Amino acid sequence: MAIDPGTDAELSDDALELFVEGADWESVVDAVEDDHITVNMGPQHPSTHGVLRMVLDLDGETVTRLTPIIGYLHTGIEKNAEVRTWVQGTTFFTRMDYLAPLFNETAFCLGVEKLLGIEVPERAQAVRVILMEFNRIASHLVWLATGGMELGSTTMMVFGFREREHVLDLFESQSGLRMNHAYIRPGGLAQDVTDDFVERCEALLELLPRKIAEYEDLLKRNPIWNDRLRGIGPLDADTATRYGVTGPLLRAAGVPFDLRKAQPYSGYEQYEFDVPTETAADSYARFLLRIEEMRQSMRIIRQALDTLPGGPVMVADKHIAWPSQQSLGVDGIGNDPEYIRHIMGESMEALINHFKLTTQGFTVPAGQVYVPVESPRGELGYAITSIGTNKPYRVHVREPSFVNLQAADVMARGQMVADVVVVVASLDPVMGGVDR
Amino acid sequence: MTRPSVPTRTHGLTRAALPLEAIAARVTAHFPNVTTDQAYGELTLHVAPDELVALLTFCRDDEELDTALLSDLSGVHWPAGDHVIERQASTTGWPEYRVSREQGVIEVLYILRSLSRNHWFRVSAATPDEAPRVPSVTGVFETANFHEREVYDFFGVEFEGHPNLTRILMPDDWIGHPHRKDYPLGGVDIAYKNDKYIPPPHERDLREVID
Repeated sequence: MAIDPGTDAELSDDALELFVEGADWESVVDAVEDDHITVNMGPQHPSTHGVLRMVLDLDGETVTRLTPIIGYLHTGIEKNAEVRTWVQGTTFFTRMDYLAPLFNETAFCLGVEKLLGIEVPERAQAVRVILMEFNRIASHLVWLATGGMELGSTTMMVFGFREREHVLDLFESQSGLRMNHAYIRPGGLAQDVTDDFVERCEALLELLPRKIAEYEDLLKRNPIWNDRLRGIGPLDADTATRYGVTGPLLRAAGVPFDLRKAQPYSGYEQYEFDVPTETAADSYARFLLRIEEMRQSMRIIRQALDTLPGGPVMVADKHIAWPSQQSLGVDGIGNDPEYIRHIMGESMEALINHFKLTTQGFTVPAGQVYVPVESPRGELGYAITSIGTNKPYRVHVREPSFVNLQAADVMARGQMVADVVVVVASLDPVMGGVDR
Repeated sequence: MTRPSVPTRTHGLTRAALPLEAIAARVTAHFPNVTTDQAYGELTLHVAPDELVALLTFCRDDEELDTALLSDLSGVHWPAGDHVIERQASTTGWPEYRVSREQGVIEVLYILRSLSRNHWFRVSAATPDEAPRVPSVTGVFETANFHEREVYDFFGVEFEGHPNLTRILMPDDWIGHPHRKDYPLGGVDIAYKNDKYIPPPHERDLREVID
């Protein structure tokens, strides 16, 4: 129970230190004079969504302070990106928030495109929107699954992950990977969608509403779910704003702030959808809100599929465009016979361009941009600085999980120890995003 | 921790966004020392560190600006010396990048966003990179706590008045601030088999990045 000097949890010099293993809590109870104890939770704990460590100050069973301690999953992605080309950047950033990889890719690419001053073809924008919204549903399903599991509902866990797998199958069919796709590239998409893309999306749109209604039936009036969630982890709008909390938590407090409406990107202004809000500002309101958000996502996907334009999925400028005309050849991806014939047999210039583009990449004009998108957890912003080279000078990511985690303290104060699990679950932090 | 007082607000997008020029004019009317620039459709206010807290408090409490949310806080290191980038300028037509600094700086960047008016802008406070010091804004926006710890961790910026300025992402006993451009890449000696030390590969040479 020793506390690192690096945390702001205070432990006075004469504090009693006890090490507890297994079922010898009685010795603790006997030894503690007043009711104040400090307990360490994590970093390896089944309910902390990854390697999150929390130091809890307790008065009896009531939490008086929660100190999150992070950094266990720090991989230096921002630093790494400074020595990679702009296109290679997507393969790194997609690994930050691993439950919302397509949002990371899109936000980074939007920033690069803003610096380049290029407009992405409409088809690529629509495919980005469709995949992002499916990604939002997949992310919320994981939230529902893990949140359910932490409260003992293993049924919900199996259900959530089961339907998420269908969404991941769609991503795999388009990008080749279930997660960490690097499918969205500066200038458009790595390659066009497959012929059965619309059909696959339609099948999901048929399946998911039924399943989501099923989860709602299972949980909405479930007495245990209600008892554990209602009134737990309250966070009103003013406090949320002070702590920089965005996304479902802010909307559950009644603020209809959604970057898809406020600052539309990738053509979100064309689609009709609502920004759901709740007023209760507790964990149960966040559950209702996320369920409704999944429905709104499907509304957007429906419209985007109906109006899916044809045409290219990559900008025409050959200095920037990743050779996206590649297709599935007999020996795997990327071996489009037409393209190979062109660069190997017809045009030396095309071969040189291909070689330069794939090794040293393109240069991006000097400047500084900040591009936010609405990720499943809130405002995901990319602050990109370029000095005109083929590599970013500095990329800083405003990760919603990282920012929202600060509010865990105010949400947990005055609640029981067992509710800490609910508080963290309703925050939905992804440690890959928190620690980057 | 003392809770900053924030006026009660009505929530939701209630008013139209201020144009960037109007934001710049309103701020410079109250803070004549603040310089502004616009690029890529984004507004940046350059402020001296000693005016920073007053400026951010003003932006938060001002009826017109109403930036209730500190969206982001980050840092960028610009070391001293000549920086000239002319690579590929002939093919792309983009102007070359030519900056010369006698004093290296660390720019601390704040993104302020209004939830009621739907505008946002950037505030930049530059501090010398030898002894970087910037006042903490945790008293204005509580969300700055983690962000400032991150900038301290990565750039070594001392945020004066921060309640708990410790490393946040790197290990507590780490030496150096890894996002500074003078931080040696591959500088952590790694002992391979038979106690061999292999120098970092050429691609990680820092000159590749800042040159």
